Amino acid sequence: MRQSFEYHPVIGYRFIPGLKARIPHEGGGYLIRVNDCGFRCERNFITEKKPGIRRVLLFGDSFTAGDGVSNKYRYGDLLEKKIPNLEVYNFGLPGAGTDQQYLAYKEYATGIKHDLLLIAVQVENIRRVAGHYRYWLNERGEQVCYAKPYYELVDGTLILRNVPPRKEPIHEADLSKEERKFIAVGRFPKLKKMVKLVTRVGLKDLAQKAIRYQLAPEYNSPDNPAWQIMRAILEEWINNNRQRVLLMPLPPYQYVEEMGDPSHYQARFREVASATGCMLHDPLPDLLKYSLEERRGFRFQKDVHLTPQGHAALATSLTPILEKLLDDLEQGVHK
Amino acid sequence: MSTTILGISAFYHDSAAAIIRDGEIIAAAQEERFSRKKHDPRFPHHAINYCLEEAFIESSELDAVVFYDNPLFTWDRVLKNCMMAGPRSFDQFKKASRSVLGIKMWVKDYIIRSIGSLGKLDKLLFTEHHMSHAASAFYPSPFQKAAIITLDGVGEWATTTIGLGTDNRIELFQEINYPHSLGLLYSAFTYYCGFKVNSGEYKLMGLAPYGEPIYYDAIRENLIDIKEDGSYNLNTEYFGYLDSSVMTNDKFNNLFGGSPRKPESYITRREMDMAASIQKTLEEVILRMALHTKKETGADNLVMAGGVALNCVANGKVLKKGIFDDFWIQPAASDAGGAVGAALLVSHAYFDIPRKINPNGRDTQRGSYLGPAYKPSEVVAFLGRKGYPYERIANPQQLAEKIAQVIADGKIVGYFAGRMEFGPRALGARSILGDPRRRETQSVMNLKIKFRESFRPFAPSVLAEDVSEFFEMESESPYMLLVAPVRKERCLPMNLRKFQEGDDNMSAVITQSRSDIPAVTHVDYSARVQTVHPSDKPDYYHVIKKFKDLTGYGIIVNTSFNVRGEPIVCSPQDAYRCFMRTEMDLLVLEDCLLWKEEQPAFEDTEDWRKTYELD
Ligand SMILES: [Fe+2]
Repeated sequence: MRQSFEYHPVIGYRFIPGLKARIPHEGGGYLIRVNDCGFRCERNFITEKKPGIRRVLLFGDSFTAGDGVSNKYRYGDLLEKKIPNLEVYNFGLPGAGTDQQYLAYKEYATGIKHDLLLIAVQVENIRRVAGHYRYWLNERGEQVCYAKPYYELVDGTLILRNVPPRKEPIHEADLSKEERKFIAVGRFPKLKKMVKLVTRVGLKDLAQKAIRYQLAPEYNSPDNPAWQIMRAILEEWINNNRQRVLLMPLPPYQYVEEMGDPSHYQARFREVASATGCMLHDPLPDLLKYSLEERRGFRFQKDVHLTPQGHAALATSLTPILEKLLDDLEQGVHK
Repeated sequence: MSTTILGISAFYHDSAAAIIRDGEIIAAAQEERFSRKKHDPRFPHHAINYCLEEAFIESSELDAVVFYDNPLFTWDRVLKNCMMAGPRSFDQFKKASRSVLGIKMWVKDYIIRSIGSLGKLDKLLFTEHHMSHAASAFYPSPFQKAAIITLDGVGEWATTTIGLGTDNRIELFQEINYPHSLGLLYSAFTYYCGFKVNSGEYKLMGLAPYGEPIYYDAIRENLIDIKEDGSYNLNTEYFGYLDSSVMTNDKFNNLFGGSPRKPESYITRREMDMAASIQKTLEEVILRMALHTKKETGADNLVMAGGVALNCVANGKVLKKGIFDDFWIQPAASDAGGAVGAALLVSHAYFDIPRKINPNGRDTQRGSYLGPAYKPSEVVAFLGRKGYPYERIANPQQLAEKIAQVIADGKIVGYFAGRMEFGPRALGARSILGDPRRRETQSVMNLKIKFRESFRPFAPSVLAEDVSEFFEMESESPYMLLVAPVRKERCLPMNLRKFQEGDDNMSAVITQSRSDIPAVTHVDYSARVQTVHPSDKPDYYHVIKKFKDLTGYGIIVNTSFNVRGEPIVCSPQDAYRCFMRTEMDLLVLEDCLLWKEEQPAFEDTEDWRKTYELD
């Protein structure tokens, strides 16, 4: 299999510019095409915008970059098909936290003319924001630890650390005990307790009982340190962008399949929206309208990333909101 | 709308995949290159993935998927063979049935599990084994009409077929069936001489010039009955492959005075003479068959495929006899090429796509550079991630000049450029290069790079326009499938006294300079030639051209980029690993140059000497 990423002195890594590859996957494999700037986008990024074209800059992680599906099946690409005269510049970066996505924005997007900035925050990204290191699989399938850039909040100000991130892998043993706490754990743990529950009562019953399990304590309180950094990054990002911003929390499958209580993270994202005046779109209520069986089909059997059906459902949820927003912007309803 | 076909060959030897779009070969690769397991017969997941990548197509958008032979026919052969051979062959039957029924019957499921779809047809197509070989030989050839000969060990029933190709149609009208098989006969000798069946055949061919064909009469009288028309019968009493898992039996062994040579043991005069004798037999069959085919078809040209067609010594003889005006051999002649053939056959015969013949008179195999390429940006990403020091020369002329200079200085260069070769030969995309003028090149390459002692010289890559300056040969040989004599005036006399007096030690012969290009001259003053044409591979052509500017010789040594027993390297990672395990001086990865002495110490995680066995 081809190497897909290269070192980047600020973001940590990016796709290899110009790469074309097919990645074997449980879904049958998928095609990726990378543009000149090292993003998995069908379009090369151009600063100027043609008249009559509406342009959305889309940021996110692997759910937005489309791990598991070919470029054309991703929700960002589907939006282009559904909404006339729309260009979506996809800056999705797999494995990245909101911090690295913000750095990608600062490195590559600030000059690009656009109508809307769409920040898709996969809810689990908060774990990456809190991390200073992260494990990756190397070409032999072994876990290798690399440093990542991160922000620290010092007296209310974001301070960028670990830039440039160290190129060489890091041995966990070389880290101080304190630093070892900052190795990002990535996804929410599949809790043994919940697996047991599912086996006992069955998935459907579990959903019906709507067991309100707390998956992400980071969102429990506005004062949680990880959330505070996340919120500071989002606020700085939204406030610095000159165009309208649409903030979209992307729910991991546990929420889509009603294994967890989304109310805390939903509350936190509402707080950011009201503090910054940005638009907020929570796709979860739309996704919950599908049957549980359909929702199970929104992710792969083993891989938790979105299937083409998952991407389609997300695009369907986004389309009317985005279309109206872009139309309103055109007519000058918003600032 | 274009028509895209995926072809797959698997489960026997050297699995492969190929993709054809509107009759044009887009990609083809052997699974071994990705899995790093030599001659990997397993389902070619990686090769298929690569083909879809190169064509940049979703599996669901394929017009058809085709498998290169018909497992039912193969099973039929296995079953009938075992019924004939009786209870002795029960083990053989169990093994073969498991292979045929247990795996081949599930080809469809393998494909769906691997790529999620069988394409728009939503069913798997099957071709006949020798039709796949025939298609792989005829369709990419430069001929509108050609006689076809396919020769292999065994597919379903047929082992040899004769036919005719015209435009986009192929007809096979004569066949010889298992257990009569020229391929299996040659393999029996390969086995007997202590080399690996299905991969050591080229060693046997290389050994032949050292020996005398003293067993020829014994072979003709006991093993094979060759008819005037080149058809033949084997005397199956001498072979083990019908009822056991070995190639020869006691009767065979007694005929040639003892048990088979143990692999990796000392090679004696007997093996050299055996090699010479079977080579002579093979050439006789092929020549007679070519004459007969000419008579039957009246075609001016001949195309060939099947493992036996890789015998370039025999090919050279056919060409020299002038039976046909010209001929073309599928470079991936063995079953790997069946993937290309099957997909071409479906394109032309099932979808009736007209055949496009190359207007410049050359073939449509594209130099057989049909495998993956890695962009300079991918190479730089790899080197950057690992922190390996390199120098980048973006100007192609300067790059070629630098490489040529290094070779002229007597250094050994690992050369990785462009799309990987399809087929068993390295043709300058994944090659190790050296100076053919130097006497020590052959031994340095053998002992410090390949880690073997070898009686076989390396092959030369020569500028197409200069070929007759070095060899008695006018035609092109872009796929290294022809052997030609080195020009007389270049040859030097050898002192063969000791060898002729009975000293079996070949090294006394090997180490002598035989010409002014000793590294590529065999003991019989022949060479296995690759001609390099600028339109097939400009980067490689320019390296040789610059070498000529420096030395006056438009020719270099080319050996495959691997250590002994390892599949040829595919990715920059493979190339770097092989470079660090050997004593190559310089590694060229696209436009990046890496010097051995500048590299950090290499941590090898496996004992490759155990991983890769000798052929
Ligand atoms: Fe075959």
